[in-house]
Amino acid sequence: MAIFNLKKREIECKVVYYGPGRCGKTTNLEYIFSSYKKQVKGEMVSINTEGDRTLFFDFLPMGLGQIRGCDVRVQLYTVPGQVKYSSTRKLVLRGVDGIVFVADSLEVRREKNMLSLKDLQANLKDYGKSIFKVPLVMQYNKRDLAEQGIPLMPIEQMERDLNRQLKVPAFEASAVVGTGVGNTLKECLKLTLQALQREFKWAK
Amino acid sequence: MRDNVVLAGSLKFLALGDIMQLLGANSSTGVLRLISRYAAEPGFIYFENGNPVNAACGAAIGLEAVYALFGWTDGEFEFTKENILSQRVITKSRMGIILEGLKMVDDGQVKRVGPGAASRKTASPLDTDTIPIIKGPLVDYMYVADEEDFFDGEYIVEEGKHGSWIWVILEGVVEIVRETPDGPLPIVRLGDGSFIGSLSSFLIQGHIRTATAVAVGNVQLGVLDSQRLAQEFATLTPEFRGLLVSLDKRLKQLNERAVELRQKQLDPAEYMDNKKPVIKQGTADEDLYIIRDGSASVVRQEDYGRVPLAQLYNGDYFGRIPFLDLGHEPDFASVMATSDLKVRKVDIAQFQKEYNQLSTTFKNFIDNVATCVSVSTKVVCNYYKKFSMMK
Repeated sequence: MAIFNLKKREIECKVVYYGPGRCGKTTNLEYIFSSYKKQVKGEMVSINTEGDRTLFFDFLPMGLGQIRGCDVRVQLYTVPGQVKYSSTRKLVLRGVDGIVFVADSLEVRREKNMLSLKDLQANLKDYGKSIFKVPLVMQYNKRDLAEQGIPLMPIEQMERDLNRQLKVPAFEASAVVGTGVGNTLKECLKLTLQALQREFKWAK
Repeated sequence: MRDNVVLAGSLKFLALGDIMQLLGANSSTGVLRLISRYAAEPGFIYFENGNPVNAACGAAIGLEAVYALFGWTDGEFEFTKENILSQRVITKSRMGIILEGLKMVDDGQVKRVGPGAASRKTASPLDTDTIPIIKGPLVDYMYVADEEDFFDGEYIVEEGKHGSWIWVILEGVVEIVRETPDGPLPIVRLGDGSFIGSLSSFLIQGHIRTATAVAVGNVQLGVLDSQRLAQEFATLTPEFRGLLVSLDKRLKQLNERAVELRQKQLDPAEYMDNKKPVIKQGTADEDLYIIRDGSASVVRQEDYGRVPLAQLYNGDYFGRIPFLDLGHEPDFASVMATSDLKVRKVDIAQFQKEYNQLSTTFKNFIDNVATCVSVSTKVVCNYYKKFSMMK
């Protein structure tokens, strides 16, 4: 549910990075913040939560055009993974327009990924959304660790584990160095804006 | 000043985080005022061009006050559009405050203020100062027949004496006290908008007062037109009257529990032995029941033990009452019973309809009973903790 700000002639939509703790959501956002400085509006908000950090900033995607003469402003968020942060989760997930699910490629995190995805589905359901309908992009993060000999899951396995039913676009990434981060975000914004366009057409 | 209110509503529906985003998107300048029945004073946040610049909540000001207000989950808010003369004390960004505030609530760094709050928060050590003050909404003067002043320490009502008057507090604080062999035991404190006197005043003429009310500081009271309230009560369906009487009984029992705890005469066994939960604390049971036969007990589960709250008998109601928040079952207490309990499900829609048709004063009066139940429960839990540990 994007917000129309008639005063500023802007459409404000929300993109949320979701995933198990320490999977690299925060690193994704930090990379975007530092390498797309021109498009970032305002400061980055960083909140220390148990076992993770929660980030937020405003983002003005360039070259994506306007919807009905309004600029599009995107709010990028990460969600704290811990169950107890229900108030934050509620605020962030309510009215979410697009989601990036960041999965951890480490073999040992296999189960954590699946649990987190399930958790996302349950949370979305609470706000009346279906994981199959919401614009969603998958990111398999930490691919660079293979070079250091750390056991990673092959992409095929991760696709089977997480994306067999969803069949959403998926990207390999390594958020620390920035590989794949831009592509993931671009694809997610594309899907989000397409969904918004569709919605507004219906409303016409 | 009221004319400037441009946005108002319930915090239950729109939480502070959402309100702040809304005001931010709108670049609004003005004052956001929050009122909670569980807080002695309203909270204020001052906005300039959509950004909070200062705030006040009790003794706290600035950022600290804003964070404290995130704990207010139940209450009213109103935003007035006006120029802000206050200095810019807060410089943190809006979203930063919102996310930090919510995190602090989830982390337990900020106290939750609302019904059932005690179960989520470890209660502070108990002394008279921590007896919470219950406030009510604005007084409807249509029902105020006369005004009366009482001075500090003066008795307004005395336990055991006859009387059927009902007052609403216009200004000041009144302490409700039960007499015990060990001296007076404070139960709750009532503030502006709260009512003195119980539902039983409608039932029996010249009924006996069950507690003492003492003025704390100078107090101004409004004498209510109890004739009119009694008439309204008489027009209700017998079922709805039964519900109200049952609520009133529950409140009286909570006060009894506090006295029993003080006397160390409370025996939790009779509330729990051989009983199984009918409604378990924390479940999402949406129904309301009336007891046809047998008895049930209301028990709250706390970290330090199970606190017996009330016994329910034939004709009493239990379950979720959609329009009232008792801070009891199903969210914050269990209902336990033996197998011979017989109940009947009640048509909640009918009750809701009847409640909606009540006059404002009568509604306030019932809401006040519910708030008293919720706060008294907290007091009972505090006493339970204090006295059971002394054993």
